[in-house]
Amino acid sequence: MFASIASGWRKLLFFSRRSQFHDQLQQEMSLHMELRARQLREQGIEAREADEIVHREFGNLTLLREESRDVWIWRWLENAWHDLRLGARQLGKSPGFAAVAILTLALGIGANTAIFSLLNAVLLRTLPVPHPEELVLFGAARANGSTEDVPDGATTLFSYPFFREFRRSNHVFSDVGAVFSILFGAYGRINGGAAMEKISVELVSGTYFTALDIRPVKGRLLNADDDETPGGHPFAVASYSWWQRRFSMNPSAVGTKIAIGSTVYTIVGVAPPGFFGLTVGQAPDLWVPLTMEKEISPGWNGLPGNMFQSLHLIARRKYGVSDQQAQAETNLLFRRILRDYQGPQPANGTLEAIQRAHVDLTPAATGRSPLRTQFALPLRVLMAIVALVLLIACGNVANLLLARGAARRREIAVRMSIGAGRSRLIRQLLIESGLLGFIGALTGAALAWGATRLLMGIASEGSDRIQINVTPDLAVLSFTFAVAIVTVMLFGAAPAVFATSLELAPALGGSRGVAAAAQRSLLSRCLVAGQVALSLVLLTGAGLFLRSLTNLMNIDTGFDKRNVLLLAFDPASAGYKREARLQSVMARMEERVGSLPGVHGASFALSVFDGGGWTDDVTVPGQPPLRRDVVHNVVGSHYLDVMKMPVVLGRALDASDTAASRKVAVINETMARTYFPGISPLGRTFTVSAGIGSPSEWQNLEVVGVVKDAKYFNLQEEQDSAAFYPHSQHLPLILNRFVVRYTGDLREIVPEIRRAAAEIDPNLPVAETQTLIQHIDNAVLNKRLVAQLSAFFGGLAAFLACIGIYGVMSYGVARRTNEFGIRMALGAERSHVLWIVLGEAFWLGLAGVAIGLALALASGLLVTSLLVGVKPYDPLSIGVAMAAMVSVALFAGYLPARRATHIDPMVALRDE
Amino acid sequence: MNNQNEPNEPIPQGTLDMLILQTLARYGRLHGFEIANAIQQRSEDVLRVEEGSLYPALQRLLVQGWISGEWAKTEENRRARYYQVTASGRRQLERELSRYRRVSEAIGRILQPV
Repeated sequence: MFASIASGWRKLLFFSRRSQFHDQLQQEMSLHMELRARQLREQGIEAREADEIVHREFGNLTLLREESRDVWIWRWLENAWHDLRLGARQLGKSPGFAAVAILTLALGIGANTAIFSLLNAVLLRTLPVPHPEELVLFGAARANGSTEDVPDGATTLFSYPFFREFRRSNHVFSDVGAVFSILFGAYGRINGGAAMEKISVELVSGTYFTALDIRPVKGRLLNADDDETPGGHPFAVASYSWWQRRFSMNPSAVGTKIAIGSTVYTIVGVAPPGFFGLTVGQAPDLWVPLTMEKEISPGWNGLPGNMFQSLHLIARRKYGVSDQQAQAETNLLFRRILRDYQGPQPANGTLEAIQRAHVDLTPAATGRSPLRTQFALPLRVLMAIVALVLLIACGNVANLLLARGAARRREIAVRMSIGAGRSRLIRQLLIESGLLGFIGALTGAALAWGATRLLMGIASEGSDRIQINVTPDLAVLSFTFAVAIVTVMLFGAAPAVFATSLELAPALGGSRGVAAAAQRSLLSRCLVAGQVALSLVLLTGAGLFLRSLTNLMNIDTGFDKRNVLLLAFDPASAGYKREARLQSVMARMEERVGSLPGVHGASFALSVFDGGGWTDDVTVPGQPPLRRDVVHNVVGSHYLDVMKMPVVLGRALDASDTAASRKVAVINETMARTYFPGISPLGRTFTVSAGIGSPSEWQNLEVVGVVKDAKYFNLQEEQDSAAFYPHSQHLPLILNRFVVRYTGDLREIVPEIRRAAAEIDPNLPVAETQTLIQHIDNAVLNKRLVAQLSAFFGGLAAFLACIGIYGVMSYGVARRTNEFGIRMALGAERSHVLWIVLGEAFWLGLAGVAIGLALALASGLLVTSLLVGVKPYDPLSIGVAMAAMVSVALFAGYLPARRATHIDPMVALRDE
Repeated sequence: MNNQNEPNEPIPQGTLDMLILQTLARYGRLHGFEIANAIQQRSEDVLRVEEGSLYPALQRLLVQGWISGEWAKTEENRRARYYQVTASGRRQLERELSRYRRVSEAIGRILQPV
């Protein structure tokens, strides 16, 4: 037995000094060969022959070295196998213990794996393209949409002519690709079918695929030739997952005709599996050449515009070109091209702005993602939360092992007395822990697999916006593996050391080893107090996040979000251009839907809360420009009614505002205060700097009313200035958003609306329908996810801590059975015994709460930016959490305390 | 010294470990070549240790902890690993010797002339 421990150490030494092992063996053998050769020479054999004999005797040297090495490895495997079998047998002997421990670990490890798979998918995973580290994005690519502004400062949107010119002139990139910054949710007919099918389309340059260096699985991808003639390349590349979903991977999908709007596209190829473009969280079905921009989306017709900046650019650095070189040439070229676009007489300040403008090349190995701004911090916070949950779970398993070690005291003592070394026993106990950890990790990984799908379900509720691949990959698997190992070390090490540190005589003698037991119970109490402390941190966090969510949902939006239905129409897919017939369709739709039973009003809008919008600055005659953004919205005449945005001065938009009448606007209170301070804005005029369509439409707009302030993009925004314009005066504009105020049952109203729409134009697809409340809920998804998950994990933590306290108290009561027996024999009241045990639980809980309080205050500061309307030291959240944990401690102590009161003194005394 | 006319016998299977232990127990510290030589001489050149099995055997004994090895200089000032039998090696030797004796006596009884 002694030999085995020692051989364990030697084997470890061997593994750490492998190369030395080979050197030494080599040295040993060459000395041997030399001496043997000399011996042979002394016998009168000629030197060369002696050498030959020696070599023959030694045979194959490599084989010899390998055999010597195998001795060690084989031995190691044998030992490991032996220990594993023994471990499995030991666990099998106490299936209850094993089940609780494995389940606890599975919960902890599973939670960690689940959150890590999300974190990995959103933040860490690299794009599935060759050498992703060579890819750079121009700027952070956070902005979406288009701008005509002369760049000033960091830039991230670029025009099509700029892209063409830059690609032609640069020397640092092997290729440059362009992507339209908005993913289009189009509708199309496939192979002349009757149904309009939803197809998400990403507009890309042909060079996009060459820059990313990916290969098609079928047909061809787009290439530089598809960037030549505007409107002349009606081709499309299908994504692999769409090919799978829509065509069941039928190879004949290549060649399929798809009619979107008034253009018919031909599928020329299928992209490789797993490729989703650059944006993590989006999954385009089709890639169509940018040259087809006007055909896909008549509203964004800016291909030839030098300053119509709407593209994200991605480029692959040439081999051997440094970051600095690429950065320097990019900016030089960027400013030169930009300068050329300004003509011979640029406006005041333009040249200075261009000098300030720059492109920050951003590493694009992991792609881009709007999800990241929203979810990076929440995911990290959740990661920390589940790590704490795992720590608490480790505490429980460690306590179980401590108790088990105590129960196995005699077995261990026997093994030690017949010569098992301590390190050998510790190894055996660690291997048992390792087995628990391994099975726990396997179960946890399975749990995580289900949980991530559930989470993705919650995250995509009501919309299909978030599409990320959460299938476990190598990173996730190695993470789980590493977590399992760390976990085993955490929960297994201390109990193993304790279990083997006993004085043999008392342990074998059968009486309770007092000193060791006291130490052990101190350790398990510390573990439990630590669990309570960590649970307090988690519960406090949950309280803070839940209160933030409530505060967020109680923020006054400035409109009545109840009983509003939000629809998306897609006139562009139905072939509408910016033309007069669209105006009549829109007017009829508003009137028709507005007069349905149960509907109080309906209106188109350019933007309704969240989901982007149009901002630009305005000028008021006779005043210096403020250069501050105003939110512009183009709406139907009933929009303010439908949203219940109250008019505080003047009038709302109404049917009298026609194309022929004076161009008008209703502005919000903030705009009235900012642009017309101290005077009535009614009857005053202003001009929008860069309007949509013709500039003349947006000059000298007369203010006819002032409406109450509202939130326009998100719940936490600073109050913006805003103005509303009737769409009847600004044709032709394609508006996608449609709001309906209703009363009654949506299940009846929605089909009515669809029917009404189909009567006006059967080709006009009605996309998503959701209530405004659902829509707003989606906008605060990250906060909701954090609040709900932290509440869940806080509860789980408290539950685990409860089990921990229960275990320690039960064990304590069992150990003190004869003490309680004596007390009661001497006349102690049952209630007295009850209070002794409950009091202990109470102090244990209180100690944990005291430690946890400090931790909770410190960690609150880390999440300040996620909080809304509560301070990180919110007394209510902390107070509730403290009360909860003390109650948990008392609750967990109550059952063992009850058991203590039911001890029969006679039985207890006989027991010893 | 070696009688070239008589072929050496290979060492019977399973006895090499015992022979090495016994040799080390008798002579104290030896390096690999000396062990091979000592066995050969002691057997009056009947047995010859094959180098191909000597070194794996030494590793096996090291792993078991029956012998220990340490580096030192030879008389000619060359570096060599000297092996020594350990306490547990001695116990192992005794076990193997008694087993060997039992077996060889049994074989002897069987082979007694009728």
